[in-house]
This record gives sequence, C-alpha cells and structure tokens, in this order.
Amino acid sequence: MLVADDDADIRELVEFKLSQAGYAVQAVPDGLAAWEAFESEPPAIAVLDVMMPGLSGFDVLRKIRESEHPRVPVLMLSAKSRDSDVDTGFAIGADDYVIKPFSPRELLHRVNTMLARTR
Amino acid sequence: MISWSSILAATLGVLLVCVALAGVVAAIRIRRHSREARRSRLMAPFRPHLVAVSAGEDPGGDSRRVLADVAGPARRALAESVSGMLGKVRGLPAEQLVEVLASHGALGRAVEDLGHRSPVRRAQAAQLLGLSRDPAAVDPLVGALGDHAAEVRASAAYALGLIGDPRAAGPLLHAVGAPGGGLPAGLAADALLSMGVGISDSLVHGLVDPDPRTRTVTAHLCGAGSFTRALPLLRDLVALDPDLTVRETCATALGRIGRAEDAEVLTRHTQVEHPQPLRRVCAAALGELGDPSAVPTLAALTHDPDPRLAELAASTLVRLGPQGRAALAAGGALRPVRSAMTMARLQGVLP
Amino acid sequence: MSLAEAVEPLRDAVVWLFEVSAVPVLGYFVLINTSYLVLIGLAALDFRSYLRGRKTVVDTLGGELTPGVSVIVPAHNEEAGIVTSVKALLSLRYPGHEVVVVDDGSTDSTFERLRDAFDLVELPREVSQDVPVRARVLGLHVPRDGRTRLIVVQKENSGRSEASNVGVNAATEPLVAMIDADSILEPDALLRVAKPFADDPTRVVATGGAIRPVNGCRVVAGRIVSVGLPQRWMPRIQVVEYLRAFLLGRTGWSRFKGLILISGAFGLYRRDTYVEAGGLDPDSIGEDFELVLRMHRILRDADVDYRVEFVPEPVSWTEVPSTFRVLRNQRRRWHRGLWETLWQYRGMLFRPRYGRIGMVALPYYWAFELMAPLLELYGIVIVPVALLLDVINIPFALLFLAFAYGYALLVTLAAMALEEWAFHRHERWRDLGIALVAAVLENVGYRQLTVWWRLEGWWASLRGKKQVWGVMTRTGFNEGGSEQGAPPGHPRVSERGASAGDVTVPERAKGGAA
Repeated sequence: MLVADDDADIRELVEFKLSQAGYAVQAVPDGLAAWEAFESEPPAIAVLDVMMPGLSGFDVLRKIRESEHPRVPVLMLSAKSRDSDVDTGFAIGADDYVIKPFSPRELLHRVNTMLARTR
Repeated sequence: MISWSSILAATLGVLLVCVALAGVVAAIRIRRHSREARRSRLMAPFRPHLVAVSAGEDPGGDSRRVLADVAGPARRALAESVSGMLGKVRGLPAEQLVEVLASHGALGRAVEDLGHRSPVRRAQAAQLLGLSRDPAAVDPLVGALGDHAAEVRASAAYALGLIGDPRAAGPLLHAVGAPGGGLPAGLAADALLSMGVGISDSLVHGLVDPDPRTRTVTAHLCGAGSFTRALPLLRDLVALDPDLTVRETCATALGRIGRAEDAEVLTRHTQVEHPQPLRRVCAAALGELGDPSAVPTLAALTHDPDPRLAELAASTLVRLGPQGRAALAAGGALRPVRSAMTMARLQGVLP
Repeated sequence: MSLAEAVEPLRDAVVWLFEVSAVPVLGYFVLINTSYLVLIGLAALDFRSYLRGRKTVVDTLGGELTPGVSVIVPAHNEEAGIVTSVKALLSLRYPGHEVVVVDDGSTDSTFERLRDAFDLVELPREVSQDVPVRARVLGLHVPRDGRTRLIVVQKENSGRSEASNVGVNAATEPLVAMIDADSILEPDALLRVAKPFADDPTRVVATGGAIRPVNGCRVVAGRIVSVGLPQRWMPRIQVVEYLRAFLLGRTGWSRFKGLILISGAFGLYRRDTYVEAGGLDPDSIGEDFELVLRMHRILRDADVDYRVEFVPEPVSWTEVPSTFRVLRNQRRRWHRGLWETLWQYRGMLFRPRYGRIGMVALPYYWAFELMAPLLELYGIVIVPVALLLDVINIPFALLFLAFAYGYALLVTLAAMALEEWAFHRHERWRDLGIALVAAVLENVGYRQLTVWWRLEGWWASLRGKKQVWGVMTRTGFNEGGSEQGAPPGHPRVSERGASAGDVTVPERAKGGAA
C-alpha cells in the first residue's frame, strides 16, 4: 500500500503501524511522488495526506479516480475537521477520512475495513 | 569633490561586505543542513522507539523505557520530537508520550520556562503544557496570555484550548482585544470552542467588551456553540453596535441559534435604511432561522432594487416551507425569483 | 577656434556640475540603499515572529472565523489554460470559497471550453451594480450540478479593471481575491492570505501575498511541484528582483504599518471595503496601486481603525517577461502607473491625518521610487561625459561605479540572506550560485535599461500619450505530462495585466564622480 505525507513523523508512523500489521508499505513525501508511485504500481490502498505542497492529496485523489485504476480505495488524512474538507474529499471520491490528531489504532482499523470491503 | 582615498575605502568596504554576505547566505544554508543532520544523528538511535510508541506498538513498554533513559543533549532533541508527535496523535500513544516527557521532568520545567528569557522557549513551554493536557498548567498559561511576545500569547491560547478548562475563557476573550497586539481572533475562537458549555458566563461578558474584536469572537462563538443565554444581547448588538463586523456576526449567530422572537430584529435590519452588507447578512440569517413570520418581509424584498438581496430573500423563501413557496409563486416572473428557483432546482432542493 | 577652446566652457560647466552635485547625488543613493537595509531589517523581525509562530503553534489555518472568499478571475482570450486554472483554483484548500470567472469579451473559445468542462447552464441572475460598471454584462452561468462553486460571467470587452469589478459584483462571499488567469497559486495560498482576516476580523481590510516568478518551475496540473530557475539570464535577474522588492519591500513596509502596495497578481480585500471605495478605476494605469491608495484615503478620512497586511511567504507564481520587448513595455507601464497615481494622490502628502502613509510612505515613494531613475540617468550620462572631458580619470570613475553598484548589490545580498534563512525555496546549491551571479549581473546593464524604460513611461505620461497595453508572448510552462496549456516553445500571444504596483523595483541612483 501507498502512504503519502510531507510530514516525516506521520509518514514513518503510519508506515510502521501498517507494516507491523503485515502490509507491504511504500511511503513517499509528496503528491507528485505519490502519483508516480501509483502509476508504476497501483497499490491495494492509498493513504494520502490532504495538505502537501505541490500536488495536494485531493489532486492525487482526483488523478487516481481518473486513471486506469480508479477503484483503488483511498483514505484521506486531514488536519482540519472542517466539513468542507471532508465534503470535498468525498465529492472527489475518497473512501474514508481520518482527522489529525488521529489514533493510529483507529487508522489501522479503517484500513483493514476498507481492504475487507474490496475483497 | 570627493577624495580618492575615502571613496577607495568605501568601495573596498562595500565589496568586502558583499563577499561576506554571499558567504553568510551559504553559511545559513550550511548551518540549516548541519542542524538538521545533527538533530537526526542525535535522534537516530531513538527514532524507531519514538515511532513505535507513537504508533501504539509498544505493549511491553520497552521503547518507553529506552526513551525515558535518554540523557544529555539528545534529551532536548527528543523533547522537541515528542512535542511534534503529540500534535499529531491522540489516544493511548499520546498519553504514553506525555509520560515519557514527565519522566524527564520536562513538564515541571515547562512551567518554569514560561518565564524564560527567550520567547521561543516560552512559546515552546506553553505548547508543551498544552499538549500534555495538564490541568495544573491553566493558571500559568493564563498568565502567559499577557506576554509581550505575540507568539507566546498565541501558544498559550492554543494550549488553553487543548486543556479545555473553561476557567480560562474570560481571560482568553479579554486577551483577544487587549491593547498592545491582542490575540489572533480565530485561534482564540478555536480554543474557546473546545472548552464546552462552561464558558457561557464569559461569553455574556465578552459581548460587552470595549474591543470590537472580542465582541466579534464572542458573537461567533455564541452561534457556533449554541449559547442561547446571550440571545437578548445579540439582538441588541445587531441594532446598536458601532462596528459593522460585530453586527454582521451577531446577525449570523442569531440565524444559527435564534428562535421565533429573533426573526423580528433580523427582518427589521433588512430594511433599506441599513447598510447593504448588513441587509444581505440578515436576509441570509432569516433563512437559517427558518421562522415563517419573516415571509411577508422577504416577499417584499424580492422586489428590492438590489438583485443580490432580492435573490437571497427568494432563496430563503424557498427554504421556508409551503408558506415561503406560496409567496414565491406570487412573484414568479421576477428575475431574482426565477434565478433562486433555478438554483434551487439545480441543487435538488426543488424538484 | 580649436576644439579644445570650444570645449573649454563645456568642461568648466561639467566641473562645476560635479562639484555641486557629486555629494548630494551620492548621498541620495546612499540614503536609498540604507533605507532598503532598514526595510530588510524590519522584514527580518517580521519573519522571525512569523517563523516562530509556525514552529510553536500547530497549524491552525482555516479555523473558526475564517471568512468565505470569492476568487475573481478576469479572463480575456485564455482558452489554452483557463480550464486547468479554474480546476486548480476550485481545488484550493479553503473552507468556503468560490471561483468567479469574468470572460471579458473573449474572441476565442475561452467560454466554450469552460462551458464544456464544467457543464455550465445559464442562470437568469442579474449581476448587481455595487461597483458601477460601464460595460454591459451579457450573461451568468453556473455548473449544472448545483454544487461546484463556480460562476462564469460574460461581459463586453472593456479591460481587466472592469472585469474585476464585475467579478466583485457577482461575488457572494465577504472577501474577494483578485487573481490573474494564468497565476498559479499554492494549495494553501488562500488560507495564508486570509489568515490576517481571521486573526483580526474587525480591522483588516486588505492583504497581499508574495509573488514569485514561475519561469523555470515545474508545473503539473496547475500546481508547482518543483521550484527551479529560468534558463535565461534576464528572467533569472527578475527572480532576484522580485525577491528583493516583494518579500522585503512589502513585508518591511507592512511591519512599519505603511503598506500602500498590494500586487495585482494576488490581493485579498474585504468586499464591502472594495465596494465602498468604488472598485478598480478602469481609467487608471495604476490599477490596484491606485485602489489601495484610495482605500487608505477614504478610511483615514473616515477615521476608521484599519489594517493592511502582507503575507510574506510566497503564495502565487506568475510568468515574468523573458524578452526585452515585453519587459520594456511592462516597466514603462509600471512607472507610468506609479507616476500618475502618486500625482493623483498628491493631496495626501505630508498631511498628518494620513498617518504613516501620508507622512512617510508616500514621500518615500516620491523621492525614492519615482525620482530614482532620473537621478540614476544623470549619473549614467555625466560620468562618461566627465571622462571624455578629462574631468575625472578612469580609475576614479570605475571606483565610483563599484561603490555605487556595490552598495546596491549589498542590499540584494542581504535580501537573499534573509530569504535563505526564512523560506529557502530554492534548494539546489547550483540555483543559489546562479542567483548570486544574477544579483551581480543585475547591476551590469539590466538596471540601466530599466532606468531608461521607466523614464520612457514617465515621459509618455507627461506628454499625454495614450497607454497601449503590452502584449506578452507566453511560452508556456515546463509541464511534465500536462493535459492542457501551450506546449513549450509554442508562443501564445495574450493580453497581460500585471499591475503598476507589481514590482516597483527599488532603484538606487548613481552619483556623479568627484
């Protein structure tokens, strides 16, 4: 699975949590790298931070939904619990949302749920 | 005329400074890189443990023990890293991280640091106290709201919001409009919202604060947090406050939390003798309020020469149920009405 | 009479001229550059608290009290990039923003592309005349889904200012942002320039955001993904220029509470203040510079407690001219706009009622921004003349130049140091080196050219010549895998509306040699 966040703390944290749970994780620091990683090898799930310089999480999400593998589940990470961010995310096609500060256990739980749904 | 020697000296001086500055630019970059490198080096052995604890993957407490044992210069770097993490995670990992800090004595030091010489340290101390959610820190933090460095005040306000003790609400509101800089209003509003219903008394005081910024924040909070005790004051302020922003904020708040009797003041302020921005805000607020007593005034407004106001009134009527729509039908040919109906259809509000 | 004898009176005149003017002119330019160092110092203080704030308070952008923003995009013949632009603007991170595109009588397929991309339908909405507009509004469209917050207004062609005014008329949010159709905004740009409004909702009436040249940056899907320097030296010099003028000139003034300039490429205003001031004046070359001065005057006349702020971190990226022709027209227009606006508001000079604007900022602009090219021209002319007439010798002249331009270079280097400390957007060492070289090169020909062009603009205004809007050949961005936009190297001609206030590059006069 793919994790994209410009914040190294969160990136490492999520990568660690998911890999401890047994998943193969690729972590990238920005939107463009996320998109390129997605293009070269579509992951089972993508976890994208909304706020990244350059291509934001929403930009990447939009590109994913318009790509050849549009059904990849995407979880958005956002620093704001604002309705508009959440609305925008769902409008573009996010599958789930986690607000920062977040509980890593809950994140894992949601990822598991999303994966189970695609099976 | 200027002497040769003086201009030679001046030129050499200038060119020397230029070279020095070019060197400074490079030095700044090098220093930044080396600082980052140094921090990474210091943290390198502990980073995996930090990540493990933050991820909640430290059931046996091994990583926590390692972190607690950190000493020397690495401790400061660790404290910063832990602070960073605390802003990003919550739940059990956050509690465990706070324990690590407590074991270093960092929290006790933080209270002292609130009086430190350097404003950076004071601000960091405030942030740490907030992230640790220590209720005993409220009083010192309230004191820090009066710090003369803006970033310290902001940190203190943010920290008070994290702790969430409503005792701090009054001082926080007052600090927004305090002379000599004040507090960022949005930050204060965020902090206050997390303090729950206990701030109700402070809000009533805030509405009569001499500074318009404080009144604006208070009015906004009343609406955002459903503080209905303030309704009579809000009504008065819509009519009488000298500051237009305050009046608009009160009107919006009335729309959000008001009851039927609040429609009257809103409808009154849609009339032509009031400032145009206020009229529009009141028309929109009537829609939020949803009281049918406003229908006749709104219907009259659809004929107003201000097209935006007319359309706002029409959109509001759409949302006011069968009475509203009946009134609209009467003015069906009017352009603002047609526009509002088209929008409503596009949005799926009307079939 | 021999040549020497004929020349003698001229030589005497020149000698006299030198004796009289050398020290004052030298003093003038020392003063200018020192004032820049002061502004840089002020900016440094500002950056310090800005950066500290960022380190200690976890990001609270976009929280409560963040007002809604209408992004106004005047567009004329922008068919190539308008859809990408609008999509990028719609997806900016902001709690409650809309995009208002004003099609200023485009003759190409600008509107059609928008209509197709967003499935626009016509709305019988009448656009208000809050700001009176002469041109006729032809129609208003919104997307059929009823959810995308986009408004497209079509009007008769009458220029960017009126298009902006129509956009504000059609706007529904309490703040309005004026954006060029081809500017690229960072995803958080709106959040950052709106923050002063959230921090001080009753007083802030206008904010401006820092602009950087986009030439040489990599753009994907309307976003900057990597910052780079242009390939050619002329735009490279402009990168350095913008850095110095914007970041420091603006920030320094903002801290001093004397900010009178907000760039046309990115300014955010309270809608009610904009309307009350009467909007952009379509007849003024000064565009937004003139508007902001007007706002200052109106607000101070009414004794309102207000603030104008500048957000130092770069938020908007725009293409700068890469040919001399376009650059020349731009600088002519800017200086002309500066002159006409300063003249128009001369009544504010030295009046205490206008506070720091009238007592410090405006006189400063008169003395140092407006007059500077004149004095510099004097220097450029008199030194060779003096050399020719043997009043001074070559080493002296060279030394003088070295001092004059050296000090100017010093100021630029101080600016670069501050930028490196605060924002360090250009990460590559190579780019730093190029920037340093560009800073030096700026003083060897580039500045002298701008001096001439600015004087040309000023002179044209004094002669009452009508302003002809320059045309900019857009060369397109280095879009890796772009969906739209002209492919690189394929020139596109478009009307360009950078405002007069954009880069009033601080100039230093060059003194006559002793």
